Amino acid sequence: MRERMRYRFCLRAAGLLGILVFASGCSGSRAQAPSSGPPDLSGIWLGKAIQSLSPSDPMAKKPGVEGDIPYTPWALARMKSERPATGPHATLENTTDPALKYADPDGYPRASIHPMKFKIVQTKDSIFQLWEYNKSWREIALNRPHSEVPDISWFGESVGKWEGDTLVVDSIGFKDSTWLDPIGHPHTEDLHIVERIRRTDPETLVFNFTFDDPKAYTKPWEGQLTFKLKNDGIMTETIYTISDELSFRQRFLNEKPPLPIRPSN
Amino acid sequence: MRGKVIALGALLLAVPSFAHHGGTTLYDTSKEITEEATVSEFQWSNPHVEIGLDAKDANGKVKHWLLEAPSPPVLVNLGWNRKSLQAGDVVKVTFNPAKSGTSVGSLLKVVKGDGSELVGHTKGF
Repeated sequence: MRERMRYRFCLRAAGLLGILVFASGCSGSRAQAPSSGPPDLSGIWLGKAIQSLSPSDPMAKKPGVEGDIPYTPWALARMKSERPATGPHATLENTTDPALKYADPDGYPRASIHPMKFKIVQTKDSIFQLWEYNKSWREIALNRPHSEVPDISWFGESVGKWEGDTLVVDSIGFKDSTWLDPIGHPHTEDLHIVERIRRTDPETLVFNFTFDDPKAYTKPWEGQLTFKLKNDGIMTETIYTISDELSFRQRFLNEKPPLPIRPSN
Repeated sequence: MRGKVIALGALLLAVPSFAHHGGTTLYDTSKEITEEATVSEFQWSNPHVEIGLDAKDANGKVKHWLLEAPSPPVLVNLGWNRKSLQAGDVVKVTFNPAKSGTSVGSLLKVVKGDGSELVGHTKGF
């Protein structure tokens, strides 16, 4: 008799456990993706021309006084001293934009702030972001910690993991001479970026950023970039060079080149 | 052909997309000029694609224009390629002229001889 009761109890327990496992599985599949693997972010994505990561001021009408960027005094002074490549200080001599003046790499996330495309190549261990602009790229290594002593680099060191349908990316080790965006939001080598990347619908990829850099900003602040699927299979090369820039300026602005320009054939 | 200048004022819709070389500073975005012209050069180049044009005024005098367009990847997304224009093509172009009065401008659109139209600016998607 006791053995029969124990048997029935075990059957019920197994049944309940099965229901829980099944329910958990259903819940998990809803939160993640229809398939058993992580969501598919791969494809070619088209960006948008904005000037600032400030959510309230994407076209940079009021840099430095956006109201949603918590500058430290150092960062505010730096911001006010910068002379972006647009507006009244657009000449090569006047601008302080490192990407224009010195042909420096954009760094991240500025590399994504163009009306151009990037391609995402997704593997089990890494996600690669390949930009048309300057043929640059970064790797997001999955499910591993940061290096013990990360290099300081233009695009930083990025590691990521899946949280349901969202790719959470943690990046550090950024070279402090880059700007976060075309208007010149500064940062230090202590910059820590957390991104939550999600395909909100089949045609849309949204990057939500949290920028944490105590020397530059009194508290973490948030920005967002959105991209649309443009799976035309075309990735066009465009590389910014000083020689091309000087040639353009000579022709359009009548500026005398301070350096020899690469001769054309 | 004499250029047609249209003041657009605050209702301007065509905004330079990637004009890091001056944009609204270099070009008068409150004015559009439309010219019938012959393409003299089409440079599929960085940082911006360059288009040379010869346009005749009412007296038959030729005026040379040099127009900037976005960089190749941006134009590709708008349906262009490096052979979209060729020297000798007769086109109708619309552009913002330089504020300085020099004969340079920022391309807005091109209508080719077959009637097809290529847009010269975008803000992305």
